[in-house]
Amino acid sequence: MLVVDDSASIVSSLCKVLDLSGYHVEPACSGIDALRKLHQTHYDIVICDIEMPELTGLDFLQKISRDFQDEVSVILMTGFLDQEYFINAIRLGAADFIRKPIDTKQLLSSIEHILGKRKIKDEYHEFQQYLQSADFSFSIMPVNFSKSNLFNALSSFLRHNFKIDQQVLNELLLCMDEMVYNAYIHGTLQLDQQERRLDYATLQAVISHKLSDPVTAARRIRLRIVINRNEDCVMIEVDDDGDGFDHHAVMQKVLSEQDLSLVEHGRGITLLCHLAHKVEFENSGRRVRITKHLSNGGTSKPASI
Amino acid sequence: MSIELNIDKSVATMKIEGILNSENSYVLQEKLTEVLNSDATLLELDLAECRNISSTGIGKILLFFKDFIGKNGEVEVIRCSKSVYELFSMLKLNQLFTINLG
Repeated sequence: MLVVDDSASIVSSLCKVLDLSGYHVEPACSGIDALRKLHQTHYDIVICDIEMPELTGLDFLQKISRDFQDEVSVILMTGFLDQEYFINAIRLGAADFIRKPIDTKQLLSSIEHILGKRKIKDEYHEFQQYLQSADFSFSIMPVNFSKSNLFNALSSFLRHNFKIDQQVLNELLLCMDEMVYNAYIHGTLQLDQQERRLDYATLQAVISHKLSDPVTAARRIRLRIVINRNEDCVMIEVDDDGDGFDHHAVMQKVLSEQDLSLVEHGRGITLLCHLAHKVEFENSGRRVRITKHLSNGGTSKPASI
Repeated sequence: MSIELNIDKSVATMKIEGILNSENSYVLQEKLTEVLNSDATLLELDLAECRNISSTGIGKILLFFKDFIGKNGEVEVIRCSKSVYELFSMLKLNQLFTINLG
């Protein structure tokens, strides 16, 4: 649990009360400080003041809602309840409101209520922890690709199914984004460099035209996510129905490149090598697979090939 | 992901929050085009709250950079998160512009 207030005395006394009630609680002195902590560690509940300098309670709530969807419950502390403010906060997903000065009983009751609602989800997470492995496969139709926000959907899927360290989750999502987007742009649509540089509206028109070809529209992008608890790693595999590419040459270039290259080829693979612990290609480059360990946070070592 | 852009005469300040990925990098492309079409000759990038950038996003920055230096423009990363700093260093973007970790 995270307590956020610019008043050090309020944070300190709330932390003491919650600690005595058996909760693991940490302090944050501002909304920005709290966001930093949330991006490093998972907290079920955030108790946050509405009036704070730099980042108000509503701004904070908006960022939580954008970055964590419903994974974090926010209790707002306020000395007043303006109706419009109240409605906005509800729309942004505030879990509850507590009047200042804080009534400890009311706060504890609010926390218990929220935790009660989260119990089913926690039991599911607990069940997931006991699984040796989980294997999910998706087949993506290119005609629906640009209509859906795959990144957000997969982010939500992984958040709901597995408790993964925030930084590792972000890196996994970025790897997935690289792999799936490449399968779409290169493998499926076979866009050339000039087409890829078009402005958004023109590019969408080019894509629509390409997808009007039944051969292109019939192609699929297959995404597989395997979580292996025994080996404490996630494997992501993406394959497409395109022509493939000379992955040996690109990998060699990526590994030997000493200076900055503004050329577009290989930047995505360089990024995969940076974010994952292992990068593999199969099927003449139509299939790419990365493996990433779950427990050691961010990547600083280059991937093995 | 959100992008805030302010252009004040010759200085453009762009603040990017969240994760810049392939799906939202077109927003960055639009904002960078705005800078390119303005009188700005310095782009200050605030990436302190940007948690990561995909290769598509980096591609947009590099394409902009090539055009911007063509009109004597300069780019400086005034604040940067650790993850983006590591990524930029790994891709050797620090050879192109100053990157301040903050």
